Amino acid sequence: MRSLVVITSVTIGIFAGVFSVALMNGMIAQRVNDALNEEISDIQITGKKFRINNDPQLVINNPSRVLSAIRSVPVIGGIVKRTTITGMANTALKSTGVQIIGINTEEEKKIFTLFKKIIPGSGDYFEKDSKFNLSLIGEDLAKDLGIIRYIIDSSTINNLREKRLPVPVVNKLNTLTGERFLNEKQFVKKMNSVFSAREAKKYGRIIKKEAWTFRQGTRMTLTFLDKDNNQVGAMFRIAGLYDVSNSIFEKSTVFVKSTDLNHLIGLTDSSFHEIVVKINNLDQTESITNMLAEKLPDLEVLSWKKLQPDLAMMTDMVQQFYLIFGIIILAALAFGIVNTMLMVVLERTRELGMLTAIGMNKKKVFSMIMLESVFLSLIGGIIGMIISYLVIRLTEHTGINLSQYAEGFEALGYSANIFPQITAGFFGIVTILIIITGILSSVYPAMKALKLNPVEAIRNE
Amino acid sequence: MKVLDIKDVYKIYNESEIQVNAINGVTLDFQEAEFAAIVGPSGSGKTTLLNLIGGLDNPTSGEIIIDGTNLATLKSSELIDFRMRNIGFVFQAYNLIPVLTAKENVEFIMSLQKWSRQERDARTYELLKAVGLGDRVNSRPSRLSGGQQQRVAVARALASRPKFVLADEPTANLDSRSAATLLEIMEKLNHEEKITFIFSTHDARVVKMAHRVITLEDGKVVSDDKKE
Repeated sequence: MRSLVVITSVTIGIFAGVFSVALMNGMIAQRVNDALNEEISDIQITGKKFRINNDPQLVINNPSRVLSAIRSVPVIGGIVKRTTITGMANTALKSTGVQIIGINTEEEKKIFTLFKKIIPGSGDYFEKDSKFNLSLIGEDLAKDLGIIRYIIDSSTINNLREKRLPVPVVNKLNTLTGERFLNEKQFVKKMNSVFSAREAKKYGRIIKKEAWTFRQGTRMTLTFLDKDNNQVGAMFRIAGLYDVSNSIFEKSTVFVKSTDLNHLIGLTDSSFHEIVVKINNLDQTESITNMLAEKLPDLEVLSWKKLQPDLAMMTDMVQQFYLIFGIIILAALAFGIVNTMLMVVLERTRELGMLTAIGMNKKKVFSMIMLESVFLSLIGGIIGMIISYLVIRLTEHTGINLSQYAEGFEALGYSANIFPQITAGFFGIVTILIIITGILSSVYPAMKALKLNPVEAIRNE
Repeated sequence: MKVLDIKDVYKIYNESEIQVNAINGVTLDFQEAEFAAIVGPSGSGKTTLLNLIGGLDNPTSGEIIIDGTNLATLKSSELIDFRMRNIGFVFQAYNLIPVLTAKENVEFIMSLQKWSRQERDARTYELLKAVGLGDRVNSRPSRLSGGQQQRVAVARALASRPKFVLADEPTANLDSRSAATLLEIMEKLNHEEKITFIFSTHDARVVKMAHRVITLEDGKVVSDDKKE
C-alpha cells in the first residue's frame, strides 16, 4: 500500500510535469511558427536607417543586384518584396495607428500563410479585381475601428436554437431581438446584464460569434506621409478580415496591394522597402543571416531573433525554465519519497536489525534502501511518462481547446488551441532525473537505517 | 575442540548514571557440538550474554574469543562479516523476511556469502527437509504457523555452517507440540551437523533436553551443570 502511494504520487508528479512541458512546448512552437509564417518570416532586409525613421524614400537601391546576391545563397526557400509604411487607419467612429504593408499577393503566398487565415464570409485575400484600393485588416483592428457590429435578430436566435442552446438562454436572448451594438464592449456589457455569470461564461462565446456581423466592402481611410513628406489620405475598401493568434499583430497591421501603396506614396511599381527571406532550414538562420550581411554591407539584414527578441529570448530560455520547473517538481516528489522511505525504515526496524545481525554489511543495507527508492521512483516515473506520452499522442493533432480564455491567449500572441508536443530526448532526461531523485531521496533514510543498533532493533516489539 | 571462550566478561549499562551490571564477571567456554541452555530469571542477563557472544553488543571489559578470534580486535565491518561466517541466530520472534519464501529466507545468507546457485539450492533443500518443511519451500512466512516459521529460522541459522547457533528464547512463542518438534529437530541437527547450540530459555522442556545447563543470576554464573 505504501509503495503504491509513492508510485502513484510519482506518477502524478511526472505526468503533470511532462504534460505541462509538452503544453509549453506546443505553445512556444505555435507562437514561433505563427510569427514566422504569418508575421515576419525568417530574415528581413531593409535599408540601413529604414527601421529607425521609416522614411518612405529609403527604398532598396539597385534591387536586381540585391536579389541576385540573396538568390546565390543556398537553402533560400522564398523571397518577397514589400513596401512598408506607418500611418493611421480611420473610420467614422475611430482612428488608430497601424503599419501598412504593400504586398504582391502571389509572392506572399509562397512564404506566408496569411491567405489561409481569412475569416469565412468576411471576404477574400485580394482575389477579386476592384477599381477601388483594397485592404486586408485583422479582426481585432476591425473591432477597434467599429467595423464589426453585433446584431441580435430572428436569424441569430434561430441559428442559436439550432445549435441547441438551452431554451431559457434563448428566451432571454429573445428579449434583445432587434438590438444592434456598435462594438464588442457594449455587446458584452449587455450580455452580462441579461445572463447569469455561468450562462455568460458557457454560451457567451457562441452567442457573440453568431451575433457578429461585418459588411463586405466596408470603407476606411488610411493616412500617411508620401515620399515628399506630404500627408496623403486614401479610401480603402476592406477586401477581407484575417484572424491570427497574435492580437497585437491583428490590431496594428494592414495589408494593401503594393501597386496601390507605391502609387500613393509616389514610388515606382518596382520599388520596395523590405525584402523578406524564408530559408529551408531554420537551424541555419543565423549563419545565413551573417552570410547575407556580408554580401550586402550597405543594407540591414536581421534574423527573426533580432526582429522579435522577446520570442528569441523565450525559445532560448525555455530549456532553463524547464530545468527549474523539473527541479521544483522533483524536489516536491523527493520529500514524499524521503518520508515514505523513512516509514519503510521505521516499519522494518526489526527486519533491518535481523539483516545486520546475520551479516548484511552496511554497504548492502544502504544499497537495499537506495535500490527500493530508485525502483519505486522509476516505476512511478515510467507509468507517468507512459500516461503523458499517450495523452500527448491523443491531443497532439486535435489540440486542447481553451477557447474560453482565447482573448487572454491572443493578447499575448498565443493560440487558445494548444497542440502539446515533446521530444523523445526529453523522456530520457526525465528518466535520468528520476533516478537521481530516487538516489538522493534515499540517502537520509538509508543513513537512518545504518544507525540502527541490531540489539535494539531485534528487541523492538 | 573449543569454539567459544568467554573470559571475565562484564557488561555495565548507564555507566555515567546509575550503574546496572547486566553481566558481572562471566567466564565460560563451549566445545564443538555442545547443546547448552542458559537459564535464569528475567533480568538475570541471558539475552545480554547472547548478544555479547554474538558480537551484537560490546562487553565493558573481558574477552570473547570465537575459534581463536577475539571479537574486540575486529572493526565494525569485519565483525559483521565474522558474524555472517561464524554465528547463526534464532530469534524469539522468528524475524523472517516477510516478502521472501521459506527457501529464499534460508538461502539469503548464502547469497550474501556468494555461494553458487547449485550449492545454495542443495543446502536449502537439505535443511528445509531436515526441519520437516520439504513441502513448504515456496511458502511465505505469512502462510506458515509459528512453529513452522521458527523451523525456517533454524534452517536459516544453520545454512552457512556456522561455528555455533545462538537462540534467544526460541520456544517462547510456540505451543507445546511445536516447541517439542522444534527441539527434536534442533537436537538432531546438532548431532548431525556438529554445530554448537546455545539457547537462552525459561522453558523447562528445553532445559530438560539440554546437555549442559548454565544458570545466571544477577549477571553471574551460579551453576554450570553438564549431563553425561
